[in-house]
Amino acid sequence: MLFGKRARRTDSPGAEEALGLFLFAEVTEALAAERTLKAVGYATALVAPPHHLRAGCDLSVAVPVVEYPGAARALSVAGVAVRDWAASAEGTADLCDLVTTVDFGDWLMVRAGNMKITVEKATGTIVNTSGGGCPDIPYLNLELVGKTLADAPRPKDLGYTLCGLMLDRAYVEADALLGEGPE
Amino acid sequence: MSLLVVATYPVSGGAVICGEASLGTDGELLVGGTVVPASQGTSAMLGAAVQVAWHLGMPAPRALLAGDIGRGDGTRAVYRQLREVAARTQPAVIAFHYMQPIMALMTAALEDLAGASPRSLLVADAGGMYAAKAAGRASRFELMTPDVGEIGFLADPGVTHPAYVSRYLFGGQDFDPVALARRAHETEGSSRVLLVKGARDYIVCRGEIVETIDEPCVPALEAIGGTGDTVTGIASALLAAGFPAADAARCACLANREAGRAMGATPAMRAADLVAALPGVLRENLCRWSGACMV
Repeated sequence: MLFGKRARRTDSPGAEEALGLFLFAEVTEALAAERTLKAVGYATALVAPPHHLRAGCDLSVAVPVVEYPGAARALSVAGVAVRDWAASAEGTADLCDLVTTVDFGDWLMVRAGNMKITVEKATGTIVNTSGGGCPDIPYLNLELVGKTLADAPRPKDLGYTLCGLMLDRAYVEADALLGEGPE
Repeated sequence: MSLLVVATYPVSGGAVICGEASLGTDGELLVGGTVVPASQGTSAMLGAAVQVAWHLGMPAPRALLAGDIGRGDGTRAVYRQLREVAARTQPAVIAFHYMQPIMALMTAALEDLAGASPRSLLVADAGGMYAAKAAGRASRFELMTPDVGEIGFLADPGVTHPAYVSRYLFGGQDFDPVALARRAHETEGSSRVLLVKGARDYIVCRGEIVETIDEPCVPALEAIGGTGDTVTGIASALLAAGFPAADAARCACLANREAGRAMGATPAMRAADLVAALPGVLRENLCRWSGACMV
């Protein structure tokens, strides 16, 4: 058992899953979060956070780490207040912060972690996205390619996985470099 | 000898589809007669596999797909049917591709397949590869096809998703694909054979580099979504045709690069353009590269 306390529900994400924790200030918020996430189809488990992550509430909600972006958005939409997110039981995993670029002349490619976005410099049009391996990536490819950086939806608003979140980092960097300037 | 591709397609709530893959007159991918949206990912992978099978006169690849845009619903639906489909079709190769990386489901699927289709060789890329490695099952696979953004993930046993890898990425302080491939093997984060896709491709067998390929060099391919997937599709189809895994990987790298050159790749082109260029490339080169000559 990951956090020393058995999950109270049977439809948990699975003992072998890499789980992250939504942390809360109040037990009622943890319970509301669990209800919200289950209602929209996430596999969740109510668990005790490890001691060093506790801050008043001894309940946290575990979800597969890869599904964090979509789950966080669902909680935000539902108005559930999350105190913090821990991407591992130790709370030590940090998302990749390495961003690099490749200049292809008429096009600029930006890499963020395992994701890439390529933009036509003259128009700001997204001509390609590549990399990644989660199912929202082909979906984001369809939704973004052909649109300008200004008109395209933010990958983090449409995607559900860590791959989608890394693509958002590439999008933000491309936008900053090409002067389109999202807010 | 046949290939079964297990994956998803980017339609929310899209039904499970299972059947032979083919290319329509306009290059669109069909699975069991249903058009699959053209995008990076599994449509590119399957399109390339279709071209290889057609060239070699092999049965068309089969696919078991479901709609999934990142919620994991289609992934779960596919896993529910995998055992039955594999038992019925007995594929020579089963390739896991764009899927939600759910470790428990991958673990259960591998246990099922050991009984249902024990002789199938396993290939993994994309989310299928993430799940297999994170679940500690990578060594069960014959071939994995990471790119330079993913080999560091395979080499780090403490990481469950490539988004948490920084030091070992291309451009990072410790990026050394040769050392990373060896470490991936030593820590059981690797399949028996690895194809590391990048500006220079590495073919790795049990942790040792057996071939490097860097010509023709077509830098624009890195920007085109799906051109890593086409490599995986070519290699999977060649493996299903009986090529040894390292030979399948080598020929896949060469064919993908040559197709990129033939199509005059720019960063604004599509993986479908590369798929369309493959028949000519295979016809002109595969016999010379592999000894697999069509008469």
